[in-house]
Amino acid sequence: MSKLAAGWRIQRRVISALMIRELVTRFGRENIGFLWMMAEPLLFAVLVGIMWRSLHGPEEHGVSVVAFIASGYIPLTLFRQSMIRATRVFSVNASLLYHRQIKILDFIFVRFLIEAIGAMMAFTFIAIVLMAMDEFPTPADIGSLLAGWFLYCLFTFSLCLVLAPLSEMSDVLEKLLPVTTYVMIPFSGTFTMLSWLAPQVQPFMLYSPFVSAMELIRQGIFGESVHAMWDITVPISASAILTVIGLTLCRRVRRELVVE
Amino acid sequence: MISCENLSKRYPMGSGHKQVFKNLNLRINPGERIGLLGRNGAGKTTLIKLIGGVEMPTSGKVRREMSVSWPLGFGGGFQGSLTGYDNARFIARIYGMEYDEIRDFVEDFSQLGTQLKMPVKTYSSGMKARLAFALSLTIEFACYLIDEVIVVGDADFQRKCHFELFDKRGDRALVVASHSPDLIREFCDRAVIIHEGSGRMYSDVNEALEVYSTL
Repeated sequence: MSKLAAGWRIQRRVISALMIRELVTRFGRENIGFLWMMAEPLLFAVLVGIMWRSLHGPEEHGVSVVAFIASGYIPLTLFRQSMIRATRVFSVNASLLYHRQIKILDFIFVRFLIEAIGAMMAFTFIAIVLMAMDEFPTPADIGSLLAGWFLYCLFTFSLCLVLAPLSEMSDVLEKLLPVTTYVMIPFSGTFTMLSWLAPQVQPFMLYSPFVSAMELIRQGIFGESVHAMWDITVPISASAILTVIGLTLCRRVRRELVVE
Repeated sequence: MISCENLSKRYPMGSGHKQVFKNLNLRINPGERIGLLGRNGAGKTTLIKLIGGVEMPTSGKVRREMSVSWPLGFGGGFQGSLTGYDNARFIARIYGMEYDEIRDFVEDFSQLGTQLKMPVKTYSSGMKARLAFALSLTIEFACYLIDEVIVVGDADFQRKCHFELFDKRGDRALVVASHSPDLIREFCDRAVIIHEGSGRMYSDVNEALEVYSTL
């Protein structure tokens, strides 16, 4: 038991040291410093939100266009950034493996955590600003909102666990990644509710783990104004499978990792 | 005690692979000082990395029953883009030490002065060795792994390293890879020659040096 407690202490030390190191190397200590981590999702949400509003008007399907787009685009940037940050994460950080208490899984986790915290900060920030402008409803159901975020994060993280080792094994992956993350946008639930789509495509879209998570987020925000459809077994089982594959691959890559 | 059991390591090379060593066995008892001898590319650094857990063996096992330092070399274990001070902070955090103590010791031992405020990637290899040495001496290990690094630096720095390692920490175990016969003869109890994929232990250091000179 004391061994477990000691392990936990070391783990916490390592994670916080790696977080600080990552924040300092990426954002520096100048001007707003680590707050930059929410700048990118925020900019995306604001600019795409404005674009959609000018194209589609203030309201569509009974909900505010800006609120709808902002609430969808921030998780999407979390997913895209996490994928980018997970590629080659082992070779980039290899010199840290000189310290045995640092494990390769810590690299993936820390990078994902920074993206997730940044995205959630941006989400909260933009929600408060839009609420003050009367463009964003008071969240109808915080529970569903958090559950949706949790599932979105869970699935994204499990994808990182697979992508990180794969990107070390093959260079092709890194080159295919941008187009893949772009092509999957229609299956991410970012721009539509499932109920707005034709009935015959709805069951297929539910197979995308992102869709259920996104529907839950929207249900949490808009409540009765939207009709959310979700099936949490999809994101949970997809994440479980990816995690098992990812951990196996990580173990394999670690054995062959060359550290300068 | 540290024991290496049937260690094999190979690296992929083109379509095949390069076998660095095969079924190597080695035991390091507490307080024992072992010199690693071998020609360039024989696998001294690789062995030190495996003992330190930086890289994993292709097969076999490394058992560590005492605390082992990270391999001290010219730069491994550093963040090039971070300053010397930031690296010291990082080490303090992951080893659960007080940063103030580490900083004072590093300033005093490394004599790097204001250079500590510069990113490590701007350091010369001698300066990196000074920082690496200073940082690793702030944490007390039962066994230190040293890769060639003692022989760099000026006379004053060498003297300081010898004092800190061989006098002050004379009771610790040590694994030193070096091409310097004098150093191995003076400070090591045993020596291992790594040659053509296998390692052989000599309890007589002079005998090892003699064999090594004929390789």
